Amino acid sequence: MKKAPLARRLVAAALALGLPAVAACSSSPDDTGTDPGKGDPTNGADLYAELCASCHGNAAEGGLGPRLAPWTRSFEELASTIDATMPQGEPEKCEGDCASDIAAYLTSLTLDCDSARALPRRLRLLTRREYRATVTDLFHASMPTACTADADCNLGSESCTGGVCTADPCTLHTFVYEAGAQNPTTVHVAGTFNGWPGTIAGGGWAMQKLPGTTTWYVKHELAPGSHEYKLVLNESEWLADPANPVQVGDFGNSALTVSCSGNTPGAGGLGFDPAKTFPAESRPTGFPFDNSEGALATNVHVDQYWQAASLLTDAAMTDMANLLPCDLAVDPSACASDFISDFGARAFRRPLTETEQAKYESLFAKAPDPETGIRIVLRTMLSSPLFLYRSEVGEPLGDGTYRLTPHETASLLSYMFWGTMPDAELFAAANAGDLDTPAGIEKQARRLLADPRSRPVFETFAAQWLGIEQVPALSKTAALFPEWNDALAASMVEETRRYFTHVVFDGTHKFEDLLVSDTTFADATLATFYGVSPPASGFGEVPSPDNRRAGLLGHASILAVNAYADQSSPIRRGLFVRRSLLCQDLPPPPANAATVPAVDPDATTRERFAQHTSDPACHDCHQYIDDVGFGFERFDATGKYRETENGKPIDASGDMNDLEGLGTGTHAPFKSLRDLGLSLSKSPTAKACFARQTYRFATGRLESAEDVCGLDELAVAFEQSGGDIQELWIKLTTLDEMTRRK
Amino acid sequence: MPQRASLSRVGRRGLLKALGGAAIALPFYQLLAPRPARAEVTAKRVIFFYFPDGVALPSGGQSLEDDFHAQGNGSSFTLSKQQEPLAPFKDDCVFLRGLSLGPTDSNSHPGGAKKLLTGVDGGYGQSLDQFLAQTAGASSPWHHLYLGAMSRKSKDAPLAADAYISYPSPGQSIVPEDNPLTAFNALFGAGAGKPGQTEPDPTDVSIIDGVLDDMTSLKARLGTVDESKLDVHLEALREAEKRIKTVGQPVPATCDSPVAPGVDEASLYKDELFPDILRAQMDLMVLAMSCGLTRVGTLQASYHTSELIMSRFPGTEMYAPNFDMRSHQASHYGSAGTDLYGHFKKQCRWWMSQLAYLLDALDKRPDGDGTMLDTSLVVCCTEVSDGNTHSHDNLPFILGGRANGRLSTGRALSYDGVRHSNLLSSIAHAMGQNVCFGQECGGPLGAS
Repeated sequence: MKKAPLARRLVAAALALGLPAVAACSSSPDDTGTDPGKGDPTNGADLYAELCASCHGNAAEGGLGPRLAPWTRSFEELASTIDATMPQGEPEKCEGDCASDIAAYLTSLTLDCDSARALPRRLRLLTRREYRATVTDLFHASMPTACTADADCNLGSESCTGGVCTADPCTLHTFVYEAGAQNPTTVHVAGTFNGWPGTIAGGGWAMQKLPGTTTWYVKHELAPGSHEYKLVLNESEWLADPANPVQVGDFGNSALTVSCSGNTPGAGGLGFDPAKTFPAESRPTGFPFDNSEGALATNVHVDQYWQAASLLTDAAMTDMANLLPCDLAVDPSACASDFISDFGARAFRRPLTETEQAKYESLFAKAPDPETGIRIVLRTMLSSPLFLYRSEVGEPLGDGTYRLTPHETASLLSYMFWGTMPDAELFAAANAGDLDTPAGIEKQARRLLADPRSRPVFETFAAQWLGIEQVPALSKTAALFPEWNDALAASMVEETRRYFTHVVFDGTHKFEDLLVSDTTFADATLATFYGVSPPASGFGEVPSPDNRRAGLLGHASILAVNAYADQSSPIRRGLFVRRSLLCQDLPPPPANAATVPAVDPDATTRERFAQHTSDPACHDCHQYIDDVGFGFERFDATGKYRETENGKPIDASGDMNDLEGLGTGTHAPFKSLRDLGLSLSKSPTAKACFARQTYRFATGRLESAEDVCGLDELAVAFEQSGGDIQELWIKLTTLDEMTRRK
Repeated sequence: MPQRASLSRVGRRGLLKALGGAAIALPFYQLLAPRPARAEVTAKRVIFFYFPDGVALPSGGQSLEDDFHAQGNGSSFTLSKQQEPLAPFKDDCVFLRGLSLGPTDSNSHPGGAKKLLTGVDGGYGQSLDQFLAQTAGASSPWHHLYLGAMSRKSKDAPLAADAYISYPSPGQSIVPEDNPLTAFNALFGAGAGKPGQTEPDPTDVSIIDGVLDDMTSLKARLGTVDESKLDVHLEALREAEKRIKTVGQPVPATCDSPVAPGVDEASLYKDELFPDILRAQMDLMVLAMSCGLTRVGTLQASYHTSELIMSRFPGTEMYAPNFDMRSHQASHYGSAGTDLYGHFKKQCRWWMSQLAYLLDALDKRPDGDGTMLDTSLVVCCTEVSDGNTHSHDNLPFILGGRANGRLSTGRALSYDGVRHSNLLSSIAHAMGQNVCFGQECGGPLGAS
């Protein structure tokens, strides 16, 4: 085995001896011939970000490299250590003033976790998904259609849920059969999704007759992808669906395609997606989520908001009786005044101030007619920064810090758990002052978490954390992977989303179950790809094939996205584990880094990469990457299982060294992907990283020094709860960082 | 010990304040106008044309004839093989060699993308296109237009902020509009305010006034909280206000009757259609400028390390129906003589053919005594120099157009190791903004 560079061996040796790691490398200023001086902490902060943060964390809280804040020993010791040994492998990059400046910055970082902690006061621009959900709620709630049965709603696109018609998800398909004079005794649906059963007892989907009509219907979950089917009357007469013009094949089967693309949660209620052409969010380096606090509204945003406001207003004003709380014709200004205070309080997520109320009333009054007045009020509100940003500004506590107002807290909770504006109960809790206490906040947080509306947000979190939103955009070389297609890619993403929410809501809620499991979720498309029996219908729980795909690491979505078009990528997969699962970032590859070694028909991928990273210059970093990545080698570029490559057996064993951080000297040997998942599921570093990713998602922040105390507290609580993900989210809502500002 | 300038965290606004708006001697002045022209004459418009992953340079060890850079100096020079498509515009361009993005993050694509238009180490600054949008471009209906061609993998696929080159405020990039039709509709269709309108829509006026009122009260209430974020938003609202309230603005003679781009939404992220998309965006940029809708534009073709499959471009010399050659992979060509090297040079040639298309589109539209190419400035750039080494030295900048007389074209100029922020300052000057832009300016630069 190749020897590690001197500095690392020293660090490892120091840790083994129980000595402070950096002290072991320290040398007196005389040794290096420099006098560090006092250093400039401001310049040091820049230099730290450039040279150190990738290993030691953005806030010096530790990453792959050891934690540096708070620094408890001397400035001189730190400066001379940096001078002589850092950055790892390239100590000549930072000497003298550079080292002193960084040391000055690091020693200036004090962590006082006991006194009041607060994040900066701020405004958070709604993301596209938040905008969609918000306007849907904003207008839907003004026009609820009461119902007692599905038949009271638009049968083809809505179901009666909780007494209100709600839009069906894109995967819920409604089959409708108009029997006319036929008057059959039974009607059922048989097709590729349920194995073409001839009888209802054999698994056919029985349709039910709408009372007082000759119409039969059934709603059923269908996996994204293409399906063929027929209707069966009286369990004997097979016919193509008369309501479906698309027929295929020799038997004239009815065919339909279920696609959720472009069909976003919330868009269904409006009948169109108002944010369809909004600019995409840009995500700062290292921040995988769409809700970065730094998001800017540019000239394009302003124009798009303007257009969306106009469309939404036009749509809402087609039903004035539902939009307005009163009859505009009776007393226009009184009615407008009511509308402004009611609708305004929901649009701005807080009651309007007197000034705001007067200003909107005057906008209404200046309009040439009442209807135009309402139009102007509505469009102005929807383009207003008071609607487009959710406020986390707070009110002063008198000690220099601020506390979020009850309404700001309500929004914080609703966007965190539901990705949308507060519901009536949250507004009521805010108005009643129930959100002023931690207990009141926790009560609402638990309610929101238990509501099914939280599931899409958890799915979004998982998809963004794991980077699998890219899967539908992947292209795989068709000649090598003929199975790859859009439907398969969609099913892969769906598997991971369902699996994550299953663990969080239906299973044990435990982090370790994300990484170790005997089952997963698949539809017929994915089951075929995996080589397992498909579930009875749609997506269902299936056994993890041969225990090879135990947990998230074996999900085809993750395997395929961390691979090239024509080959697997041990580097991308290893980096995925280090960055996404362990929060251990690594410096970018150096200049002159070679590219992927060319495909060699006589070698396995591991052999090609082993050669490439045996170079000492590469090994420094790649020992932390490739060895982990090789554990995934039994899965090709699409995530398909394989035991050989180019006729040679695949070696998927290795050692995830320094799993708990550089220099910790830990070993986690593995023989398979299952072993790798097992090690990660038990790793304190992996759990702390999951807590950190959750914190990032909830706060919209890539952590800095201000976040370290909260992250520490969260990680400890998560570990103590045995890795309970639900409790992690609840714990988050109780942190000072969530509700205090400065 | 690393050299480090002290201005690293001084963003654009801070720097401008520090300079007190004073005119700074322009080191690149010779580049712009060898015989000082009328100082009040400025380029009418500027387009930043970005393509990813650098070019092929001798730093990889290949023979000199394959150097991307033009050979020769001053007006006596020859184009390289990679630059061949620019032959018809050789006399309309200035080919620059030797400029450096500086040592920070010098091994990185994102590091280069961040520095490219900000001109500061680490990229923590406002980008030049956004600065010009606020200054030279502020009188136009649209201060800035940022159009992309497949600047992400798919419509909803996310991308890291450092894949983009346009920064309205330090550390915050924005994402280009990838759909030509959406951009067209904003410019000519459903957006607020229409070019050539005879009277403002009174409803629109009430609304924009109401929104601005909410914004100014909010800013007053918050003081310095999120000030720069709201400043960007406020400026965008003022831009919309002006479009809504401006009447009787004559439509320039250069403005052709606008025709909506013929690229459908389903085609926007198909590699084989990339040439069509890029062309539609270039056409739209030129159209918007010819109609006086904007003076400052940024065209971003793909993004760094994108793995765009350029071998799927039909009818090009890269076309290989049975093999997917990915752009970034090709840029790591290793050494001369590899298949990747051959392909990468074809890619570079293709990017140059696109630049030639843009120059030609400008040249086809008359403007004053000449064409829009005479009155415009096109800045062709990429985030690294040699794609194989990720070097940030010897960048292949090309300037196109005569910048309304400010730029003396048909030359190849060498600047050995000079920071590219000097070039950014020169571009600002050409647009009438006499400032020192970015990290460093003031090094002695000859025009030789």
